[in-house]
Amino acid sequence: MTFSVLMQAIISGILVGGVYALIGIGLTIIFGVMRVINFAHGDIMMVGMYMTYFLFTLFGIDPFLSVLISMPLMFLFGAILQKVFINRILGSLPQNQILLTIGLGLIMSNTAMLAFTSDYKILTTSYSSSSFDVAGISISQPLLISFLITAVITAGLYWFLIKTDTGQAIRATAQDREAAQLMGINVKWMSILSFGIGSAMAGTAGALISPTYYIFPQVGSAFTLKAFVITVLGGMGSIVGATLGGIIIGLVESVAAVTISSDWKDVVVFSIFLLVLLVKPSGLMGKSRM
Amino acid sequence: MAILEIKHVSKFFGGLAANSDVSFEMNQGMIMGLIGPNGAGKTTLFNCITGYYPPSKGEVIFDGRRMNGLQPDAVCKLGMARTWQKVRPLAKMSVVDNVMVGALCRTNSLKKARAMAMEQVRVVRLEHRADFLAGGLPIGERKKLEVARVLATQPKLLLLDEVMGGLNPAESEEIIQLILDIRTLGITQMVIEHDMKAIMRISDRIVVLNSGEKLAEGAPDEIVKNPEVVAAYLGSE
Amino acid sequence: MKATNPLYSRHGASTVRVCAGIAVIAALFAFPRFVENPYVLHMMILFFLSTLMGQSWNIIGGYTGQYSVGHAAYFGTGAYTTLILLSNWEIAPWYGMWVGIAASVVLALIIGSICFRLRGPYFVLASIAVAEIVRGTALNLTNITKGAEGILVTDIPVFKIGETIVTDFSSKVPYYYIALVLALTIIGVTWLVQHSKLGYYFQAIREDQDAAHSLGINLTIWKNSALVISAAFTSLAGSFYAIFVKFIDPSTVLPLDLSVQIVLISIIGGIGTIFGPVIGSLVLVPLSEALRSNVISEGLINSGLVSEESGVGIFLKEHLAHAHVLIYGILVVVVILFMPEGVLGYVRKMASKKKRGEA
Repeated sequence: MTFSVLMQAIISGILVGGVYALIGIGLTIIFGVMRVINFAHGDIMMVGMYMTYFLFTLFGIDPFLSVLISMPLMFLFGAILQKVFINRILGSLPQNQILLTIGLGLIMSNTAMLAFTSDYKILTTSYSSSSFDVAGISISQPLLISFLITAVITAGLYWFLIKTDTGQAIRATAQDREAAQLMGINVKWMSILSFGIGSAMAGTAGALISPTYYIFPQVGSAFTLKAFVITVLGGMGSIVGATLGGIIIGLVESVAAVTISSDWKDVVVFSIFLLVLLVKPSGLMGKSRM
Repeated sequence: MAILEIKHVSKFFGGLAANSDVSFEMNQGMIMGLIGPNGAGKTTLFNCITGYYPPSKGEVIFDGRRMNGLQPDAVCKLGMARTWQKVRPLAKMSVVDNVMVGALCRTNSLKKARAMAMEQVRVVRLEHRADFLAGGLPIGERKKLEVARVLATQPKLLLLDEVMGGLNPAESEEIIQLILDIRTLGITQMVIEHDMKAIMRISDRIVVLNSGEKLAEGAPDEIVKNPEVVAAYLGSE
Repeated sequence: MKATNPLYSRHGASTVRVCAGIAVIAALFAFPRFVENPYVLHMMILFFLSTLMGQSWNIIGGYTGQYSVGHAAYFGTGAYTTLILLSNWEIAPWYGMWVGIAASVVLALIIGSICFRLRGPYFVLASIAVAEIVRGTALNLTNITKGAEGILVTDIPVFKIGETIVTDFSSKVPYYYIALVLALTIIGVTWLVQHSKLGYYFQAIREDQDAAHSLGINLTIWKNSALVISAAFTSLAGSFYAIFVKFIDPSTVLPLDLSVQIVLISIIGGIGTIFGPVIGSLVLVPLSEALRSNVISEGLINSGLVSEESGVGIFLKEHLAHAHVLIYGILVVVVILFMPEGVLGYVRKMASKKKRGEA
C-alpha cells in the first residue's frame, strides 16, 4: 500500500469526518440538553437525504444550495417530534426513552420504505464525481464542499451558543436543568429548540452527503450507530468533542478500509466504541460541557 | 479492642479534599454522633468506610480487619451496614420484600429470610405496611423501612446517614427510640445528624467535621461548649 | 399502593390457578391430535418461539433491569453454531444446541464483563455495539459462516432413542412439541427465579443498584448470572429457529431489528412479570402473521370496505405485507407513551383503580 493511497484515505477520511461531525454535534446537543439518547437520529438524517433528493429531482435545486431550505424544515420536523413524542417521556427511565426513539426511527424508515420503496436512489449532480488534483492526491469536489459547509455551520452554531442569549440559555439548561429553570429559563422550550437544532444538523448532514451516498430507507441505522460512537468518543454533550470524534471516526474508517479491509471497518469502529466505553466513558472532552 | 478504627483517612476528588486526615476510634456498643456543617465531609466519610469508594489515604480497620478497597457487598457481609441520606427504597417491591433483600445476605432460604424480615418490620413498627409497595410510602416510613432493611443484614456496626432528615418531631422521636433500642441489641452505631438535640440525647461521643477535617471529638457536653465547634456552625450560616 | 404482585406469596398459588394451568398445558399437549392444519401448527410454533425469546430476555431485562438491545447476538450464535456443526460435521442439532449454549454463555460472560460497568443508556448502546460486531463477524468470516449467503440445510437427522425412531422431522408436529416444551421450560425457569433468592436479588439490582450493592449483593456475580441464563435460553431459541426454518443468514438471525423485537415482546406484555412475554407474544405473533399473509388487506377488500382496484386497495395488497416492522415501531411508541408497564401492568392498574373506586 503506497503512501499516496494512504494519504488519499486520510484526506477523504477527514472530509467525510466533517459530515460525521455534524451528525455527532446534533446528537450531542440533544443529549446534552435533554439527556435523551436519540436513536432516531440516523433516520432523521435519512429524511434529510430524501428531502434533498426530491428538491433536486423535482425542482432542480442543487443539494448544497437546498440546505438553505432543508435545514429550517428539518428544524421544524425535530421540534414537532419533540413536542409530540419526546417531551412526554423526559422523566421516564432512560431505557424507555431509547425504546421510544427506536420506535420513532422504525416508523420513519419503514414509512419511507412504503412510500419510496427500498430502491437505492442516486443523486448525481454535474460535479458528483469531480475532483481536484493536489500533489497527486485526488480530492473529491462534493466532499470538499460539504466539509467547508460543515465548517461554516459548526462555526455558526458555536457563535450562536456562545454569543446569543438563547444559545447561552441552551447551554445553561444542558449544564443544570433545575438551576436553569430556577433562573427563569423556559426549559421546555429549550428542549424543543435543542431537538430542532439536533434534527437540523442531522438533516443537513444528510443533505450534504447525498451527492456521494446511496439514498435508501435503511441508510439511517448505520449512521445512528456511528453517531453514537462519535458522541461517546467525543464526550456526550460536548460539541468540540463531537467535532473531534467525527473527524477521528471518519479517519479511522477510511484508513481501516485501505489497511485492513472495507468489510471489517464497521467492526473496527464498534470495537473502538467499546474500548472508549470501557476506558474513558466520558469521552475525550469529559462530562457535559457544551 | 476498638470495633472501628479510622486512621488518617483522606479522600480527594481531583483537587478537592473532601476528607482530610480524619482519625478516631469507636468501641463496641457505643453510639457516635458525626456532625458538622453541610459539606463537611460526613457522607464522604461514610462512603469511604463502607467501600462505596476507597479512601485516598489512610486506613479503615473494622473488627481488626483492613477494609480499604473492599466492595460494598463484602463490607456488608462482614457486618457493616449503612443507610442513605436520600432514601433508596426498592420501589416496586413490597416493604417486607425490601427487608428480605437485606435478610438474604445471611440466609439462602426464602422462608427464613421472610421470618427475619418480618421481625425487623415489627421492630420498626411497619407491620401494617408489610405488603405495601415501598415506592408508595411517605418519607417517614421510608426511613424506617431503610433501617429495618439494614438491620436484617445483622450488622455489628450500623451507619445512619441523616435518618431523621425531613421527619416531623413525632417521627424523629420514634427514630431516636429505635436507635436506643438498637443499642440494647449490642449493635454499634455511627449517626450523622443535623438535629442537635437528638444527637445530644443519643450520642455517647461526638466527632465534629468541618471542611473535611476533624475539628473536635469528645463527650456531648464538651462538644457543645467547644468554641471552635460553635464558630464552625455559626460561620456556615 | 398495595403490592399486587408480592414476590413471596404466603398462600402459594391458589388451587384454581394451578388447576387452570394444568388444564391449559394438557390442552396444548393434546392440540396436535385434534388439529392437523400445518398452518395453525406453524402459528403455534411461532407463538411458543416468541414466548421463549421474550421470557429469556425478561430475565436480564425485565427482572434485573439491564435492557440489552443486542440479544440477537445470542440468538444468532445458537443458530449458527447449530447449523455449522450440522452442515459441516453432521453433528445432530440436539448436540449442537448445547455447543451453541456454551458459545452463547461464553459470549454473555464477555459481554457482561465489558458492559455491566456501564449504566442505563450506555449499557444499551454497548449491547447494541456488541451485537453489531457479532453480525459483522458473521458476515465476514465467510469461510465458516458463508457470509451473506447464509447457511441452508435440507435434512435434519432422524432422532432415535436406542433403535426406535422418535421423529424424522418431516411434519410440523415434532417442532410443535419441542417448541412447547421449550416455552414451558422458560416459563418454569422464570417462575423459579421469581420465587427464589435470584428473583429478589435481580429485582433489587433493577430497583437501585447501589442500594443492592450495599446490602451484600455482588453486582458482578448476579448480573452475569441473569445474563447467562438469559443468553442460554435465547441461544436455544436460535438453535430451534435454525432447524425449523433450515436457513439462516446474518440479516435474519443477527440484526438489530430482531433485538428490538425481542425487547418488544416483554415491553408489550409487561416486563418483570412471569406471563408478560406470553401476552406480548399473543399480541405480536398474530399481528405479524396477519400483516404478512395479507389477511387484513384481503379482509378489507372482501368485506367491501375497500375496492380491489382502487389506489388504496392496490397499495394495501402490495405493501401491507412489508409493513409489519412499521407496525412494530408504532406499537413501541404507543406502548411506551401510554402503557409503559405493558398490558399486564395496565390491566393491574385498571383493576386496582376499580378496587379503590368500589372500596
